[in-house]
Amino acid sequence: MTVEQLKEYIAGKYPVMMTPLDTGRYDPVYEVKSGQLLEIARALRDDENLKFDFLCNLGATDTGERFEAVYSLASITKKLRLDFKVILPYEGAKIDSVQEIWPGANWFEREMWELYGIDVKNHGNLKRFLLPDDWDQGHPMRKNWDAPDFVRFPEL
Amino acid sequence: MSALRTEEFIVNMGPHHPSTHGVCRLMLTMDGEKIVAIEPYIGYLHRSLEKICENRTYHQCIPILDRFEYVTAMSCNYTFALAAEKLAQVEVPERAEYLRVIMLELNRIASHLIFFGTTAMDLGALTPFLYALRERELIMDLFEMTCGQRLTYNYIRIGGVSKDIPAEFVPKCREAIKIIDGKVDEYMALLNGNPIWKARTIGVGYLSPELAVAYGVSGPVLRASGVKYDIRRDDPYSIYDRFDFEIPCRENGDVFDRYMLRLDEIKQSIRIIEQALDGLPEGEIKGKVSLKFKPPAGEVYSRVENSRGELGVYILSDGSDKPVRVKTRGGSYSQLQALPHFGAGGLIADLVAIFASLDIIMPEVDR
Repeated sequence: MTVEQLKEYIAGKYPVMMTPLDTGRYDPVYEVKSGQLLEIARALRDDENLKFDFLCNLGATDTGERFEAVYSLASITKKLRLDFKVILPYEGAKIDSVQEIWPGANWFEREMWELYGIDVKNHGNLKRFLLPDDWDQGHPMRKNWDAPDFVRFPEL
Repeated sequence: MSALRTEEFIVNMGPHHPSTHGVCRLMLTMDGEKIVAIEPYIGYLHRSLEKICENRTYHQCIPILDRFEYVTAMSCNYTFALAAEKLAQVEVPERAEYLRVIMLELNRIASHLIFFGTTAMDLGALTPFLYALRERELIMDLFEMTCGQRLTYNYIRIGGVSKDIPAEFVPKCREAIKIIDGKVDEYMALLNGNPIWKARTIGVGYLSPELAVAYGVSGPVLRASGVKYDIRRDDPYSIYDRFDFEIPCRENGDVFDRYMLRLDEIKQSIRIIEQALDGLPEGEIKGKVSLKFKPPAGEVYSRVENSRGELGVYILSDGSDKPVRVKTRGGSYSQLQALPHFGAGGLIADLVAIFASLDIIMPEVDR
């Protein structure tokens, strides 16, 4: 399946639940509503023609106004690539854990919870991870987090 | 007489244990001599490279990401440059692509040599380490000749490479890979017939292909479990589709297969380098990239096949000269995450072998 065929296939099969974003230049990027995350994730993994069984990467992003959780998937057997993202509000960000679909999401979600303060539902292992156990200075990857010795580089 | 009271106890392995290759701490729950459960504790090397990158221009990110996975820093340079080039649709000159492939493959060989040496050393054989570092030195000399650095190269830049190779590079490189090609056979002769080596590695630490895929294990560890997936072949980048090489794959998924697979990969990398040296064209080494590099708004995830598996960089750009977000993904991260699910059940000595065979380095996990 080529990238064009993949886009057509997704558009035909999940016309409402996956909204294409035109920012992706090479691999297709979609937006998924947070309520439908588990349903879509399971469908993408189990679909006979897609088989996205490999979670390459999962990372949160703070754009300054909202959070985005970006899921990068690959299919080992079908040799496909696809990204999708879930947009979350700044206040009370919550997302479902996708561990039952891709067990490897565990650490990525822990990192998301620790560094961004995004609550992960049904995770089961939300413990301090990259930061020291007694860390109490908030979520350092947020854009509004500032350390005393953090110097912003000027615009060139 | 009442039965002896037995209970499980906890052994703390690391963070300064010599076989944890950095500062990884494993909490082992032991039942006598047997490991019941493993829990990795990480974060001792967390330098928040991703946050630092958000405060740097795109060009300044490259030397920062050198420190992300310093054993194969060329791949880190390349993955970031690839992502930025995809975003801005920069054209890379032909010669630069060839130079990149040569450097990436040389770096892969150097990394696998380190793996070979340290794994053997962890299992009690010191001599292979000395041999492996001797051969690695040949590659380090080539890098030093080209970019002045031996570990953190800052060589592959957005749009090309920083310097052209000196005139003596090509003959020296041919000589080096010829020597290494012969030495790999020597390494195999040195260890493969050794009964102690066989007893310590064959059948130890079996990783099933299903578990490997589920936990995102990639690279040589995945291929040693029988999943033939290599990003160079299956999601090609740069000019890898022009070269003729094989993807080594093995079935047993134990420590021995993971070790053999890497030695096989060295042979294939040598094949790629030979072809790249033969086809090396003349011309420019850097595309037109402004110092005020500002890619258009957008996002991209680029991934390359590193010696430790999939190395990925995600960049989100808002059109300014600094990325909004840089997320890195290293192979060691997923390998270490999968370790508790297949590493338990044996002795601590077996765990040392398993840990070594995964070829984890901690800066890539902690970032």
